[in-house]
Order: sequence, then C-alpha cells, then structure tokens
Amino acid sequence: MTVTVRIARTSGEQVFAVESLAQQTVLDALFYIQNELDPTVSFRCSCRVGMCGSCGMVINGKEGLACRTSLKPLGGDVTLQPLRHVPVIKDLVVDMEGFFSKYRMIEPYLQPRSEIVAPIVAPLDSHIRQEIDLGLECISCGLCLSACDVVGMVPEFLGPAALNRAYNLIADVRDDKTEERLRVVGQSRAGVWQCHTHMSCVEVCPKNIAPTRAIAHLKRTLIRRRVVGPKKRPIPKLQRILQEEI
Amino acid sequence: MRTESVDVLILGSGGAGLFAAIHAYDMNPRLKILVVTKGLMGKSGCTRMVQGGFNVVLDPADSIERHFSDTLKGGRYINDQELTWALVHDAPATIHELEAGVGCFFDRRPDGTIHQKAFAGQSFDRTVHRGDLTGIEIMERLRDQVLARNIAVLEEHRAVELISDGERVMGALVLDIRHGTFLGITARATLLATGGGPTMYKIAAPSLEKSEDGLALAFRAGVLMRDMEMVQYHPTGLLAGAGRVTGSVLEEGLRGAGGRLYNAQGERYMARYDPERMERATRDVVARAGYMEIMAGRGGPQGGVFIDVSHLGPEFVRKTFPGMVQRVQDIGFDLATGPVEVSPTAHFHMGGVAIDPDGHSSLSGLFVAGEDAGGVHGANRLGGNGVAESTIYGRRVGDAIGREAAALPLNPLPDEKWELRARHHARFWNTASGDNPAHLLTELRMLMWEKCGLVRREKDLLECRTALAALAERVEQISVVGAKAYNLRWADALNLESLIQVSQMVTESAVVRTESRGSHYRDDFPAENDEDWLKNVYLQASDEKPGGMKIFYKDVIFSREVPPQVREAKSHEFSQHMVQR
Ligand SMILES: Cc1cc2nc3c(=O)[nH]c(=O)nc-3n(C[C@H](O)[C@H](O)[C@H](O)COP(=O)(O)OP(=O)(O)OC[C@H]3O[C@@H](n4cnc5c(N)ncnc54)[C@H](O)[C@@H]3O)c2cc1C
Ligand code: FES
Repeated sequence: MTVTVRIARTSGEQVFAVESLAQQTVLDALFYIQNELDPTVSFRCSCRVGMCGSCGMVINGKEGLACRTSLKPLGGDVTLQPLRHVPVIKDLVVDMEGFFSKYRMIEPYLQPRSEIVAPIVAPLDSHIRQEIDLGLECISCGLCLSACDVVGMVPEFLGPAALNRAYNLIADVRDDKTEERLRVVGQSRAGVWQCHTHMSCVEVCPKNIAPTRAIAHLKRTLIRRRVVGPKKRPIPKLQRILQEEI
Repeated sequence: MRTESVDVLILGSGGAGLFAAIHAYDMNPRLKILVVTKGLMGKSGCTRMVQGGFNVVLDPADSIERHFSDTLKGGRYINDQELTWALVHDAPATIHELEAGVGCFFDRRPDGTIHQKAFAGQSFDRTVHRGDLTGIEIMERLRDQVLARNIAVLEEHRAVELISDGERVMGALVLDIRHGTFLGITARATLLATGGGPTMYKIAAPSLEKSEDGLALAFRAGVLMRDMEMVQYHPTGLLAGAGRVTGSVLEEGLRGAGGRLYNAQGERYMARYDPERMERATRDVVARAGYMEIMAGRGGPQGGVFIDVSHLGPEFVRKTFPGMVQRVQDIGFDLATGPVEVSPTAHFHMGGVAIDPDGHSSLSGLFVAGEDAGGVHGANRLGGNGVAESTIYGRRVGDAIGREAAALPLNPLPDEKWELRARHHARFWNTASGDNPAHLLTELRMLMWEKCGLVRREKDLLECRTALAALAERVEQISVVGAKAYNLRWADALNLESLIQVSQMVTESAVVRTESRGSHYRDDFPAENDEDWLKNVYLQASDEKPGGMKIFYKDVIFSREVPPQVREAKSHEFSQHMVQR
C-alpha cells in the first residue's frame, strides 16, 4: 500500500509517497524518506522500542511515539508535526528543554530522609508502593505536555509529567521534601488547580500512565492538609544488604 | 573554532557516564564537569534499554565469590580478574546506592525485600529488576540526580576525535549536531563512556545512534585495546520484517523462567547443543545453536527460530513480562499464547579499551568506563552483568576522577591541527554525486554478519579484511547534501567511519585467535584450546603506516582464581614430575 506522508518541516510542508510494509512504523517511514527520498529531513530517535521517549511527534493530529505507531492502521494519509508547547529545532526535532525546564521545577530527584540508609522493606500487600507503581514508568517523552490544553493557555502550568513525578516523590516514604513539594504543586498558576481533567494526557501516554490521577491525588492531599493537617509517615523497615558492603 | 575548557569531560550519558558525573561531582564539587552526549541526556544509549536486570549478591545464601566464579566461567576464563572482582564486589553497594540515594525502586518479593530473578549461566537467582524494562527506572533516576547537581550537559553533541599527543589525552573535538559546527573542548580528565555498541551487523540490538564511536576514537588516539574479537550475540532478537524493531531483544528472563526454543520442525534443538543446561546455557552457546539451526535450513519463514513461553501460563507471562508482551503485540503476535520468531542479534562488545580497576587507560588523562572498556566479561558476558558494569564502573571511575582530576594539567587547545581535523570530518560535501552512506552501512552489516559473525573461518575473515578496506575507500566518495545543522546523512557517514574502523579491529583479532572461545567461534578451529589460548589479544594503532595496527597477545593472569582446567593440568604435570623423581 502506498502512503502519503506529509511532514511539517521547518521550511514548510513536504509530501512524500512511501510504500508501507507489514510491521513497519512511522519511524520506519521516516528512515525510508531520509535514506531514499530526501536526505535533509530531520527527526530524532534512539531506542526504537518505546523506552527512551526520544521520538515523540504529532501523528495525524494526535501525539504518539514514531517507533510505536504502526503505519498500516493510519490509512493512506499520514501527517507528521513536531510536538506542541516546546520549541522546534528543525523539522520534527524539538527542544526538550521546554519540557525539562518545567520538570526541573519540581526538583524531580529523591531527597532521602536521613534514616533511609538502605533499601526499604516494602511488602507487596502493604500498599507502600501501590499508587507509585502505577505512575512510575514515565519515559519523559513529552507527549502529555504537548497534548495538554492547559499548557497552551497557561504557559506557567507545570504540566502532567512534572506533576506526576512530584506525586510519586510525595507518596514515596523515603523522601524528605513533602512540604516543599506540596508548596510547589499547590501554586496557583503553575500548580495542580489549573488542571480541569480533560485527560488528554491520559489518552496519549504511551506507558498507560494517568497523570490526571496523580493530579487528583495531589489535590486531595493539599485539601486534607488544610483541613486536618499533615499525615504522619512512619519510618519503613530497612533491608540489610551484605553487612560488610555498607 | 569555538573552544571551551573544563576540568572533567564526560563523553556519553548512559549508566556509566551519568553515574561517573554524579560521583566525580560528589567527590569534588569544585570540579567543572561537562557531559557531552550524542543523543539526549539519559535517554540515548543502551542502559536505557536494559530489560532483564542487574546481577548482584544480596541473599546471604549467595556469595560474591560465586558471582565471581560464574562470571569467569561465563567469560571462559580470559577476563581480567581484578576487573571482574571489582564488579562483583561493588555490586551490592551500587544497588544500595541506586535505591537509597539515587531513588530507584526495584521489584519486591511478597515479604518486601528486593526480588531477584533467574538469568542464564548463574548458580543463583541474583538478577534485580524493575519489571522487564529495568533501564527506564535506572536512567530516569540517574538523570534526575544529574539535574540536582551543578553538572553541565551538551546534548546532541558527538565526540569525533580525542585530543591527544600520543601520550596524554587533553579533551575532545566535538560536533554540535544541532548547528553542524565544531567545538574543541580541553579537559584535565576525559571519560570515554560512549557504550561501544556493535551495530555493524545485519541484525543488531543497541540503540540506533550508537556506532562504536568510543572504540574508534580511542584506537585513533593510540590507546591500547583488548579482546576486540569478542562480540556478543543475544540469542533472542525479535524479527519484524523490514521494521527497525528487528534485532531488539526479547529479554533473557524468558529463558530464565523456563522459555523453550524450537526450530521450524518443532524440535527443541538445544538438546543437541547443551543437553544439560538446555535454554539456560550461556548466550554464546544458545545464540550459536540458533544460528546453526537457521544455517542448516531449519529456520522459520523470516529465517529465525522460535521462542515459546506459553506453557508457563498466559497469566504468568502477561504479569511477569508486560514489556515483552507489548513489544511482540506491536508487531502482531502474542507472546503469552504462542511461539515468536527470533534470531541471534549483535548485542554487546566484550572487547574494548584496556583499563585498570579505576578506569585508567594506557594514555594519561583518559579514563574509560562501561561498554567501551574491555576485560570485565572475558569472552562472553553474562546477562545482567552489563548494566552492572556500566553503573558500577561509572561509580568507581567517577570516584577516581573526583580524586585525581584537580591535579591533572589543563592545556589550551594545542594547535591549528584541530581545525584541520574538524574540516576533515566535514569533508563529505565536496563530492558532487557519490555514495549514499545508508547504503554503505547496509553493505557493511551484511558483510560482517556473513564473514565475521557468529561462525568465523579464516577464508571468510581474510575476505572480510579485503572488503573492509574497499569500503573504507568508498567512504571518501560519500556525498552529503543540505545544511549542516541536524544532518542525518552526515551522521550516517561518521557512524560508518567508526563502524568500519572497529570492524577492522574485530576482524584482525578474530584472525589471530585460532581457537573457539565464548562468543568467538572458529569453524576451522572449533575446540577451545586452553593449552595455547588462555590469552588476550591486544591491539594498538601503529605509527608505521596510517591506519595500521599492531597486534599481540599475552597470557591471562589468574590473580584470584585458577581455572579448573588449568588446575587439573597443573596437578597432572605435578604428579608426573613426582613419578620421574
Ligand atoms: C536491548 C538491550 C538490552 C539490554 N539488557 C540488559 C540487561 O537486561 N542486563 C544487563 O546487564 N545488560 C543489558 N544490556 C547491556 C547494557 O545495556 C550495556 O552493557 C550498558 O548499559 C552499557 O552502558 P554504557 O553506559 O557503557 O553505555 P550506554 O548506556 O549505551 O550509553 C552510551 C552513551 O554514549 C553516547 N554516545 C555514543 N557515541 C557518542 C559520541 N561519539 N560522543 C558522545 N556521546 C556518545 C550515547 O548517546 C549514550 O548516551 C542490554 C543492552 C541492550 C542493547
Ligand atoms: S525511539 Fe525511543 S521511544 Fe521511540
């Protein structure tokens, strides 16, 4: 089957005809175009198996990973545009700093409590990690930020991925910065109150994460704090790893 | 040319590069550290793609001595034992730091302690993991920790040359991919952590931007290399027709959990190759068996064999291997309920730069960590020891750099020679109409697969040598067009150059090793020859002619464990000696 691929390039739209073979993805089409039709087309990829989050773009109007979007089901017409809400470097290559500048704002790294000197014991039935596990596999591809209508209207809004990460850290018994983090996510322009549950982020997430859920949890936590004050967080048991190693 | 100078220059942002940056910084926060990476920080490279997991001794019933012995046995005893020891010794502390400091969280057992699963070639279930896509958790969290520190990062910048005077490395010449311009970066300490990546094979697993750059750069700078003939093929690379997913790996845990391999005739062929260990034999053995089945005409429609885990129960498979199930589903099959066609795929380069346990190479100022280094794994790497190597050596070498960098000299960019070198790397615009590097890459991949792949013989290797020389000449005819900024055809040309150079090293080392060991199999010398070949092949650029190399070999030093076959031979010798007396 011949597919018409329209690419929104920096220099304007360009149209290519590509033969689509079984098991090929949008990324395969881009390689074909770049190798055989126009060597100056630019796009980004690395892992080609949906793990690195380098190949996000807007495919027929909807955010997707080029490497995990099969060509066949898209039909005869495919339009490719760079991600939204981040600057374009060239053609389909965007500047992910637009994503990470927001992500950095929530201090996305674990800042462990002083007692956490070893891995924690987290029994599977203890629920210590249950909520976090649902939102952990984020590959920071930026699809959710691109799909978020709020970011379009309120540029300061931290966006789904950063808030999802903030929630994971707030829910993490190992982390020491709950108060500070809640202050950041509770800000009026940048924080969770801006989200009006459109769920566009949930729809496009290639890892089936629901940032909207994390945002709802954050809202609930913020309200709870105001009403009943902070929850006590017991110090979890630690797993002793080979004594001599520590 | 723009120039910049830093204390520490780190090339690559995989597990080795980022952990080294973090440790060097924590050791000495006054150091000016710059990470230069070909892709995006923490996203590019293969640590990100780690699926199965990380080998570490955590259980009191296990021991680091056993992990050590398993690794030597898997490496067929030509590992550098001091490097292997550092690996197994530091593994528990590394997992400890990843969890309690970096913020990773690995899967748990019902009782809440860290879960460890079965991998091949190991005497104990010791592979720590996060589902079946472990690399995401490790790299996202390491990246987060880099963001927490004052560490500069240049993304989509690729090193094209080490700045060296033949004795000391003083930094690197770097191409800014986004602008298509060059940058000369001088540094007191330079860390090579570009992650090897044998993508010069028809079917290959690594991330698409990797092209053995680090090894090519090191060789050109005159650094001592070792074990270059040792390329690992993973037995279960996915086959997806012409799609780029082809070659990506179905993780080893599938075999660890009891997955079975069949040929097109429905025969569980491992019974003929390793009846005792069957599918849980080491990768070298299983990959070669699959290749031989395919070559003997017992392959499936896509020229592969089949992995089947459906007998473990679809529920179990979906729950334990969700990432693998999804990947297979993407190409239209169901891993939980039926067989999936797979092929050996070029996966990892055991060979690389010769280092000591602190990552020092033969040139002062140049440190190496991760897949760019050689010696940790010997002739075959155990699954789960790769990400262990990149993170453990990232930490160790980061510490060494943190301790030593401030005392190393910082030179200005030496002379205009580097301007010329930059121009050299941009020479492809001169030819009006020449070869398409993408086509040459395809030729190279076919050549290496057929002549210097899973089964090698002298005749093929010599043909390969000639063909590689011809390909190297055709690089000069390549024509690149268009603007220099983000030019992917230019990237292909530079990748091709690196890959040809490293292919030459693999081929020459493979010619020299006239026996079969681990992943190096010689059809014309099919036996492992302990008498003559408990040795390592070393290789270095020679001054005599440009592009020339000198090759030599040295006995392995059994500094910690004498292999059983040598012990037996020795005691035999000893008893004969006694009798004569
Ligand atoms: C599909 C797959 C699955 C794997 N699964 C496992 C597993 O389950 N367990 C295990 O132990 N091991 C596994 N491995 C092996 C493991 O991933 C590697 O051994 C290890 O991660 C290598 O780490 P590294 O830091 O050396 O390199 P990488 O993580 O590959 O990082 C290399 C970095 O260098 C950059 N770079 C490359 N060239 C240049 C240049 N010229 N200039 C600047 N930067 C450059 C890259 O962009 C990247 O950022 C797997 C490998 C693959 C490919
Ligand atoms: S290339 Fe890594 S997610 Fe698509």
